[in-house]
Amino acid sequence: MTDVLANVSNDLAAIVAAASPGVVRVEARRRLPASGIVWSADGLIVTAHHVVEQEEEVKVGLADGRTVPASLVGRDPTTDIALLRAQASGLTPLPWAEPDTAKVGHLVLALGRPGPSVLATLGVVSALGEGWRTSLGGRIDRLLQTDAAMYPGFSGGPLMDASGHALGPNTTALLRGLSLTVPAPTVRRVVETLLAHGRVRRGYLGVGAQPVRLPSALEAQLGQPTGLLLVSVEPSSPGGQAGLLMGDTIVAFDGQPTRRLEDLLGQLTAERIGRTVSVRIIRGGQVQERSVTIGARDE
Amino acid sequence: MATALQELNGGIASVAQAASRSLVQVRSGRRGAGAGTIWHADGLILTNAHVVGRGDHEVELPDGTRLPARVLAYDAARDLAALLVAASGLPTIPLGDSRSLQPGQFVMALGHPWGRRGAATAGVVIGIGDGLVETPFRGRDLIAVALPLRPGNSGGPLLDVAGRLVGINAMVTGPQVAFAVPVHVAVAFLKESLGSREGEAALAAG
Repeated sequence: MTDVLANVSNDLAAIVAAASPGVVRVEARRRLPASGIVWSADGLIVTAHHVVEQEEEVKVGLADGRTVPASLVGRDPTTDIALLRAQASGLTPLPWAEPDTAKVGHLVLALGRPGPSVLATLGVVSALGEGWRTSLGGRIDRLLQTDAAMYPGFSGGPLMDASGHALGPNTTALLRGLSLTVPAPTVRRVVETLLAHGRVRRGYLGVGAQPVRLPSALEAQLGQPTGLLLVSVEPSSPGGQAGLLMGDTIVAFDGQPTRRLEDLLGQLTAERIGRTVSVRIIRGGQVQERSVTIGARDE
Repeated sequence: MATALQELNGGIASVAQAASRSLVQVRSGRRGAGAGTIWHADGLILTNAHVVGRGDHEVELPDGTRLPARVLAYDAARDLAALLVAASGLPTIPLGDSRSLQPGQFVMALGHPWGRRGAATAGVVIGIGDGLVETPFRGRDLIAVALPLRPGNSGGPLLDVAGRLVGINAMVTGPQVAFAVPVHVAVAFLKESLGSREGEAALAAG
């Protein structure tokens, strides 16, 4: 009578056991260690950017009990991915799921190794969605949200499907604490960029901004309720050279309204570096136009 | 033909139903009610030390019978207490092997969350022993489970898929993370604290 129950339980434990060699501990912050995924046999480790708080004396804890030194290959805060190279070889990379196999409602396991042994929680795929931009402007190919509990130190560890394939690293740092999984195509793209350049190039303005409500007259005139108030402008930055000042409110960038921070960050992609675009600002209650040449920031 | 999910549900229900006969409610002094697990047919009840306060103790059996209880043993460090009620022929849960639990394995908990009587919840083993970091209970032998336990679950049984007792649910550190005292720790507690005669009787239950 309980055969199916026992089989499911054994299958879940078997997935954890099989994945265990591909799940590592990442010691790159003073607090609790986090988790990582073995990307290649020669020591590449994918983890979450936000758990790598120190770039020196990073260590990786392997399933066989060894703790080995690791160096930071690069990091991309916009997708919360960091790539480490552990001084180890003959590692067992996790098998990856084919794209678009996950369905809402599927059972999934979140794995982590904050201590010596692999840990697991169970949940379902809660939501799948289109590609989206993180608040820092990173492009995530698909939204994948789970209700599997994120035990302390699970960030950077994999979400596994019921066939024992990795769907991507888990992070709660991208969207208001939700448990999200960065999908494999995004991971692959970021890893390749980090391997080639050590960083992900991003457009750069040199301004700090926060969303503010517009006065009702301007809201009616511009057709948008909010804009981006500049709270800082670096003098010699692209924004500074374009004549932007602290206190200006950006309401459009390259013809696109900027209601939220994401609207601006989403336009600062690598391929637009060097282009000159229009910026519509409010200064002293008046709408003005400026031109800015998008600079490059290497992260 | 039943689908796999229907069979799964049947399995979960039968484990919960069988074990619910060994789930009691423990009221202690002016504290809120916790849960307890019948360990021996002759009235030995296991619960958490933090469920047992000062004053009079009362155990309510699944059939509603209320019995006064005496504290036989108490261990705050292990968070375990043994109670005795005047009863016989009580249904017990077979003991499982808490040392061999693996992360990802299915487990179930019974208890009285927020006073809701006899509620079941299911989840998986997160991990056991020293793999658990950042617990507020460093150095203690515990099972971490991904289960939404609440006040009133304390002292209730943690069960494996075969319906065997693998732990006594003890504490909650997050909405979906809880800890149970492994049954092998409970065995050691009873052996040490009840000594020979009652201890042997208690262990004979397993």
